[in-house]
Order: sequence, then structure tokens, then C-alpha cells
Amino acid sequence: MTFRKFAKYVNEEENLVKTVFISLLTSFALLAFFYMFKLRYVENFIPKYGFFLFFAILSYSLILPSVKHVKIYREFACMSGMMIGMTIGMISGFLAGFYIGSTNGMFIGSVFGMSLGIFLGIWNGKCCGIMGTLEGIMAGFMGGLMGSMTALMMFNDNLKYMAVLVFLVSGITLFGLNYMIYKETREAEKRKNDETFFIIFWSILLTTVTTWLMVFGPRSVLFQ
Amino acid sequence: MKIKKTTLYFALIIILIVGVGFFMLKGNGLETNTAVSDNGNGDFQKIILSVKNLNYYPNTITVKEGIPVRIYLDSSVTGCLRSFTIRDFGIAKYLKTPNDYVEFTPNKKGSFRFACSMGMGTGTLVVE
Repeated sequence: MTFRKFAKYVNEEENLVKTVFISLLTSFALLAFFYMFKLRYVENFIPKYGFFLFFAILSYSLILPSVKHVKIYREFACMSGMMIGMTIGMISGFLAGFYIGSTNGMFIGSVFGMSLGIFLGIWNGKCCGIMGTLEGIMAGFMGGLMGSMTALMMFNDNLKYMAVLVFLVSGITLFGLNYMIYKETREAEKRKNDETFFIIFWSILLTTVTTWLMVFGPRSVLFQ
Repeated sequence: MKIKKTTLYFALIIILIVGVGFFMLKGNGLETNTAVSDNGNGDFQKIILSVKNLNYYPNTITVKEGIPVRIYLDSSVTGCLRSFTIRDFGIAKYLKTPNDYVEFTPNKKGSFRFACSMGMGTGTLVVE
């Protein structure tokens, strides 16, 4: 059965579950460190930022394994590469924009969401050349803007439920992307496999930037 | 009994999420606050709304039936929140300055929603 084979591939061959765990562990450990020394002195840190920071970290722990999965093969056919650039650009831009937009407003949420979405969109979309790269740029741009705009517009309308919903839909989409990569690359040669350092580095970077932006970063007039 | 590595990772992920989530998800819900109209000289009921936590403050207003109501938005209200609507009373007006107001006479009892034109800021008008 293909799905059973996929589950085995995800768990044993590519260690994607282990990657999720490493990303979560790194991010939460870093956050605990920040909390011990700095964030616990920030007024209302947990009620104000805890929820969105928690889901931002969960989102990164789903995005990074997908990025790692793409990096293992590096080269894809045009259609697959475009789908990879679009999915990763859109989802990373949307999630980052949504969670930052929820605490800091639309401008900084859009800037951060677009930056992350476009960067990851290009980085992953270039696996098939210029088409995937362009797709990544467009998707990251759109996702970052849409994420923060959605967050701002839902501020008084069950924003937290929406945050959970957005996370679940993104998780399912990324799961689908990993399945597509598996289907497309069964015969392909792997370039790299052990990317633990890559995951730790990006988890630290994204958690640090997100936390700093949420707590100390600039915010829109309505959020001051 | 030998535990599979993958099962172990799944269990650890769930423990991490539940453990950290328990600590971090202690949120504060939407704040509700109430204002009763200032009856002034008896000709009209005066309400002044401001903004707190990106919503109208107070977001529950209590007024008396049959007496005209004037709602003002102070200078803290910006953006689309200045476009004030109460659908049930046919109110939709852009209040450009803090001196502008909407005026209507509540002719039915009950709870009615008021909102900005985009629905981002909302509240309840209680007519007694």
C-alpha cells in the first residue's frame, strides 16, 4: 500500500518525525532560556504573546522538515518544483504573517511574512529553475500579505480559533507536499540526508526573530 | 518490549506540545465592558466611545427606549472604526471628528450589534 510505504519512508528513511521533534525541542528550549532571563519581566508576556508564539513555533516545526525534504533531492521537474516553491512560499509567508500580524499589526506582519515567504519560496522553488523561483516569489509575497491582513481583520472575531484552523490547514497542506515529493522522487538520487545542524540553526533563527518582533518589535498604532 | 524509534519521537513531540502548550496557552479572552448612557439634560442620551485592544471601548452600551441617543467617537478611534454602523437602526455614518455623532431613537427593546463598516470593531447596544 503506497500510504503505508510513505509512512515508513517519512519515519525511517528521511527521519522527518525526528526533524519535527528536534525543531520543537530547540525552539522551546531557546524560548525557556529567553523566558528565564528576559521575557518573564515583560508585562503580560504569556497572555499577550504566548498563544501566537506557541503556534508560530509549531508552524516552523512543520515548515522546516518540508524544506529539509526538498533539500535532500535538490532537483525536480518543473511542475513539481513550481508546486514546491508555491506551497512553501505561501504557507511560510501566511503563517509567519498571521502570527506576527496578530500581535504587531499589519505592516510588520506583512513585512516579516513576505520576507520569510519570498526567501523560502525562492530557496525551495529554485529546485526547478526560474519558474519555481518566480512562483516562490509570488506565493511568498501573497502569503505574507494575506496572513497579516487576515489576522488584523479577525481581531475581534475569534482570532484564536482561526489561528488553530490556519495551522491545521497548513499542516495538512505540508503533509500533502511531502507526499508529493515522495511520489516524485522514488527513483531519484539523494544529495544529503543528515541535516540536524540545518534544522537547529533555522529553528533558533526563526524563534529568536519571531519572539523579538512580537515582544520588542515595531507595531501598528492600534496595537500600542 | 522494544519501543519503535518513531513511536518514541511521536510520544516526545506530544509531550512537548502538551507540556509547553499548557504553560503558553493561558490567554485572556475578549474584554467586555459596559457603559450606561449619560442622560444629560433629558433631551438625548450621550455615549462616547473610545478604542481599547483594537475594539470599541466600552463595547456594551445600555440605553433607554424612546429617548434619542447620540454616539460620539473620541480621538483615540482611528481608521475604519470611525465608520460607525448599527444595522438594526439603519445607522451607517463616517464620523470624521470627535465632534461628529450619530443620532437615532431606539424604538424597540433588545440587544443589537454595532460595528465598524468592515466588522473589525464590534459591540452590543442594549435597549431597556
